[in-house]
Order: sequence, then structure tokens, then C-alpha cells
Amino acid sequence: MASLLAPARRPRAAGRPRAARWRRHAWSYAFLIPGILLFGGFSLWPLIASWWYAFFDWDGVGAPSNWIGFDNFREVLGSGAFWDAFWHSFLFSFAALVIELPLALVLAILLNNAWLRGRNVYRLALFLPVVTTTAVIGIVFAILLDPIRGVVNTALTDLGLVGSAVNFLGDTTTALPTLIGIDVWKGFGITLIYWLAALQTIPKDIHEAALIDGANSRQSLRFVVLPMLVPLAIVILLLVFQRSLNTFDLVQATTQGGPNYATDVVPTYIYRFAFDPFLQAPRYGFACAAGAVFGLMTLLITLLQAPLLRGRYKAGAT
Amino acid sequence: MSRTRRTLRWAAAATAVALTATGCNLVGSGEDDSGNDDASGENVTITVALVPDPPGASEFYRAQFDQFEEDNPGITVEVLENPSDQQLNAVELMFQQGDPPDVFRAQADGFDRMYERGWVHSLEEFVTDEFIDRFPEGTMNPSTSGLHRDGELYTLPLVSGKWDVRVLVYNETVLSENGYDAPPETWGELEEMARTITANGGGSVFGYAPTSGKAGAVEILAQTATPYSVVQDGIDFSTGQPATASPGMVEAVELHRRMQADGVMVPGWESWDGARAFTEFAAGTMAMYPTAPWHIAEIRKLNPEIEMGIAPLPVPDDGRVAFTPTKQSFQPIWSMSSETEHPEEAWAVMDFLASEDFNRAYYEQFGSFTAIESAWEDQARENEDQAAILSAAEETMRVVPNPMLLSEGGGELLRARAQRPELKHTDAAVDAIINNKPFLPIAQALDQQIQAFLDETLAELSGTATIEDITFPDWDPLENYTPEQ
Repeated sequence: MASLLAPARRPRAAGRPRAARWRRHAWSYAFLIPGILLFGGFSLWPLIASWWYAFFDWDGVGAPSNWIGFDNFREVLGSGAFWDAFWHSFLFSFAALVIELPLALVLAILLNNAWLRGRNVYRLALFLPVVTTTAVIGIVFAILLDPIRGVVNTALTDLGLVGSAVNFLGDTTTALPTLIGIDVWKGFGITLIYWLAALQTIPKDIHEAALIDGANSRQSLRFVVLPMLVPLAIVILLLVFQRSLNTFDLVQATTQGGPNYATDVVPTYIYRFAFDPFLQAPRYGFACAAGAVFGLMTLLITLLQAPLLRGRYKAGAT
Repeated sequence: MSRTRRTLRWAAAATAVALTATGCNLVGSGEDDSGNDDASGENVTITVALVPDPPGASEFYRAQFDQFEEDNPGITVEVLENPSDQQLNAVELMFQQGDPPDVFRAQADGFDRMYERGWVHSLEEFVTDEFIDRFPEGTMNPSTSGLHRDGELYTLPLVSGKWDVRVLVYNETVLSENGYDAPPETWGELEEMARTITANGGGSVFGYAPTSGKAGAVEILAQTATPYSVVQDGIDFSTGQPATASPGMVEAVELHRRMQADGVMVPGWESWDGARAFTEFAAGTMAMYPTAPWHIAEIRKLNPEIEMGIAPLPVPDDGRVAFTPTKQSFQPIWSMSSETEHPEEAWAVMDFLASEDFNRAYYEQFGSFTAIESAWEDQARENEDQAAILSAAEETMRVVPNPMLLSEGGGELLRARAQRPELKHTDAAVDAIINNKPFLPIAQALDQQIQAFLDETLAELSGTATIEDITFPDWDPLENYTPEQ
């Protein structure tokens, strides 16, 4: 049936001169040009340039001229502060994958039910943090979590849950978990939307067929919905992983990496060396090297997931 | 589609792209509009890059420049604002793109960054005796002004050197409720009072907070306990030796470590930004903290009724070892771009920024002691807060040797040192305070690193810098230093 509905393949233009093919697709290429220019100018070129700059001792002014080979890379790889920041970035990602991703899926399944009244209101409420400016979120949470007058601490102490106020953002042991919690809360809405979009790609016919075959809701979810979600889940996983690994604005708006670098992540580490006004001269070359190492490590972690994901993808796709 | 029509469409598309690419020129005059119509004697636009700081500065500067434009009909001032922490990078970017501002704000080390790149115009050709006479006597001496490089004037100030004073602000009501009728004069008294007030405060009022999450209070208090160069660079300029582990520096950290460990300080200070301390003080959360004087006006704005006292910094229990440094008469602020096409008009704007009228208006708006003291001194003596700041400045500031101004080698060494921020005590001190670690071994390790840095840098700068460039054996940190020493 499917093969009958498929459009008939056009015969290959064997022997057609190349120039004729070019003319035939000229408009397609013309429309590609702006995209290619923008991608080249704003993605590809900065990427290549930052790798190039990483080999110079350069403060960002004029053309880089002081070639120092791999010195910047050596300094980055030998820097305890860089690896601390990297670990913190990884924890942001890890929390997003093990907390945000499954929790958003559960809620997406609930909110995808047609019988749920007011589901659009819930969706909106969960999506609001995504469109709220991170700086505002940072300020609001700093006020809410304030150890002296913050609502959260007042509630915790009034309810007797804690003996004394918790120094959420000022204590080196609680600052990072607190920021990770805020990041999960802020990113939750977009992950939810990803899942909702994925769920809506599953045809209703299949649900109905499963019900006719005697499957209950749980069985339908376990044996129909989840397997069909796997290919899209892999994409969602990678998107969430990448987003959470690059957390910057929230940290900058709330703790600037403090206290005592307890919440320093790689983007704030790079920012400090490239733009800190207290440096006599910025170290763009070093910051570029840190960015390059971070990019490579991210790629490596992503690739490490590939065999597992590929297996799951194949299992889900069949 | 015929070949002719296709060709025409391609021609139309190519024309559209070309028109888009050159759109700016077609919309504009097609000529460089930065200078407007200077040649024809019409209006000239001068761009001024500044920071909208303190709060309300945007409106203030615009109103001032409106007045300037009225008085100077041929000049329009276009203001470019950048957030304080992005100003330097933004101005650098403008220079790199070939479109620098005519006048820009570059403070302290930021000015040297600009100067070293050759982006600053000498002001010598514009300066007159009348101009020099506006400033307090002796403050425009090229060797000590802080505004001269290689003997030439390159930059203009905004605030007086007295504004670099550091003071202790205290809540008189809170002190009085806890049985104290005067602020602490020693660190021991400070600690004892802070402990009592926190113990009596019931979790809502605390005795003390260290100004910001970077423990700025350590640096401020240490100014009374060790030569300023130890606080600034970890090197004692009287010996030329690393001295982070000097008793005064160590005790400044240990004082805070003890209070932190015992919960004496306001919780949450560890993540405070620069504005949080005065907000909390104005809210009555804490009894006292050491600060720069600009906090005082902000506290008054937030809480005009607060019973606030301003006192000189408390000193170590064994007595004062040093004073708050006067490294130079002024901090650099306003500079002219070396690439300006309208130096005369740019100077007119700078001359206005260094005028008595502007200085008075700035003082009246923000309460800061501006560079031209005659513009505000009488008023300040009649204002209780400002009189206290002035008194503290006169009592607790001393002129110190500044190698940046005194020799090329000294400048080279200190610039190299500034490139190694990890050698400064700041992060280590915060770590010691927050994580309750003894500071002495940390400071000793830092001193070893500083010594290694000095050995390495002196070897690299062999011939241009020696340790003597940052060594002043005759300097007594308890006395004013004169360059002849």
C-alpha cells in the first residue's frame, strides 16, 4: 500500500549536461547563499578563528602575532580551576539528563492527554520560565533564597524543617546544587515542549489499534509509545545535554561563579579570561584555548554516547 | 521561460543584492559622517563613551551635555553608554573597528591599557595655566598627578584623590542598643562588638559583613596593618620582598575567618555583589562595615533617616602600621582618542568635564568629592556625612611611592604582576575565610610563587627593570612619601 502511494521516481537525467543541471537548480543555490554566508560568517569562521587564536599570546587588539604553539592548551589542561569548572558544567548536564529529561517526559505524557482539562494553562505555566529573562530569574531567586529575609528560609524555619537559615547561594556546599535546581526549573519547559512535540508525532491510529488489541494504558505506553519515542528522544537528549553544558547566564547573574569559584562553569571561566575588566589585559588566546578544549571534550562526551544511542535508535526504529 | 527573461531576472537579482550591500551609503550621504560638516563650519558631533554609573548618571550626563551644547552651538555631544564592566572592552572594540569615540572614560589601569596601545591623545597642546590652576595646588605635578605619562598630560580626573579614602560606617542606633556609644578603634574592639551585636540580633541584625563576596573588607582593613603594596601586589615596597605572609595581612584574614566560623557575619555575603552591602546596611541588617565613601550617599538615598556614623578604619590591636595610600593625586578618567578628527572640539568637551560648574553639579548630584575641590569643599564641610569623610581622608591617608609613576622598570614589573592575578591574596583569602583554613601557610606558599615570579620576570626584563625599581628602603609607611626620598 505504502509503495503504491509513494511518488513515482523521476527518471535519472542521464547524460544531461552539467550546465543544464546547474541552470535547473540555480534558484535553489541562490536561495542557499544567504544561509551559507550567515553560517560561514557567524558559526564557521568564529570556530576556525578561535582555534587559530588559541595558538597566540593575544590580548584581542590588532592581529595576533606572538605565536606560542600549544602553550595555551598546556596551561588550560594543567589548570585545576579549568577542570573544576568543567566538572561543574558536567554536573549541570548530568542533572538535566537524569532529572529534567525524565521528569519532563512524565509531565509531557500527562499533558498530552486530551481528557486533561486546562492542559494548555499547565503547559503555559511550565513554559513561562523559559521565556523569562535569566537575569530576572537570578535576582528573583536571590531574593527568595536570601538567608535573612528570603521567603524560602522563612518557610523552612517556621515549619521547623531547618534549625537555622540555609545559605543557599553563599555556602560552597549548597550554591552549586541550588543553581543546578534553578537551571533544571528554567529549562524544564523547553524539554517539555520537545517531548510534547515528539509525542504528537505518534499517530492516534496506533494507540487505537493497541487498545483494540486489548492493551491497557500502561501497556500502550510501555510497548507502543516509548519505543516509538526513542529516535526523537535521542535528539532531545543531545539538545538538552548541549544546552545544559553551556549554562552561563544563570551563573553570571546569580553568583558570578562564586562563592570562591564553587559555581564556576567553563563558560564563566572563559568569560573571566576574555573580558574581566580587572585583568590588565584580556587573554583572548588563552580563553580561545579553553573554549577549544571545552568544545573537544563536549564532542568527546557526545561521541561516547553514540554507540549506546545508536543501538537504542535502531531498537526504537524497528 | 525565455532566455531573455531569465537573464533579466538574474540582472534584477544582482542589482538588488548590490543595492542591499551598498544600502548604507545610499541612505546616508555616502561619505564618512563621523565628522559631519566640520569643513563647512557647521555642526561637529563629538562622541563620548561613558558608563551610566552611579545610578542616575545617564540623565545627569545628558542634562550636562545639553547645557554644554547650548553654550557651544557648533558642537553636538553624542553619548555612548556601556555597562561599567564592559566599558573597556567596548571601547577597544570601537578602536579596532575604526570608529572610536572622541572622548572616553577609562579608569585607573584601564587608562594604561589604552595608553600602551597608543589610543590616547596628549592634552599638552590644550592645557593652559588657568586650566592647571583649577586643581588643588601641587596635584598636577607630572611625577605624582597620576594623569601624566612621560611627562605629558594624557587624561583628566573626575574625583579627588581624597575620594580614595576608606572608612568604617556604623549604625549608631544598633551600636547604642547593644551598649556601645562609639565605633571600634581597633580590630579587637571590632570583633568583640560584632560578636555581641550578632548574638543579640536574633538572626535579623548582625555585627559585621565584609563588603562584598570578594572579601574587599580584608583589603580595606589590611591597609592599616601592612604597607599598601602588600595588599595590592603581595610585595613590600620598603624591602622589595614578597610579604603576603606578613603579620598584618594574615591577621586581617584571620579576623574574618574567626567571625565567619562563629557565624558573626551576615550570612550570604559570600555571593554579594558590590551594591549589596550598602543595601543591607540601609535596611538595618548589619551594624558596621568598612567601605569606600561612595556607599555613604547610596545608604542615605535608600534610608535617609538612618542614624549612620562614619569613622576612620579601626587599626590592629598592636597599633597602626600603615595608612590608606595616596598613590597619585588623581585617578585617570577622561581621555581623548588619538584618532579623533576633531581634537579642538573634543578638548572643549573635556574642558567642560573638568570645569568648576560640572564638578559642582556632579558633587551636588552624587555627593562624590570631585577633582576640583573649590567646587564643593565649603558645602562638604557643612554636611555631616561628607565632613566625616573629609576628616577621615585627612587623618588616614598618606602619600606612598608609586613605581608605576616613578620609573619605567617599576611600571614594567607591576604590569607583569597584574597579568598574574592568581598571585594576589584575594581568592586565597576568600577560600581561607569561607572554608575555615589557616591563612599563614597559604600566604607563605603565595610568597614563594611571587618570589619565583619576580626572579623570572626580572630575568626577562634584564636591562629594563631591576628590583630597585620597586624597592624604597627609606620609605616609612607611617609618613608621607616624597619622590626625592
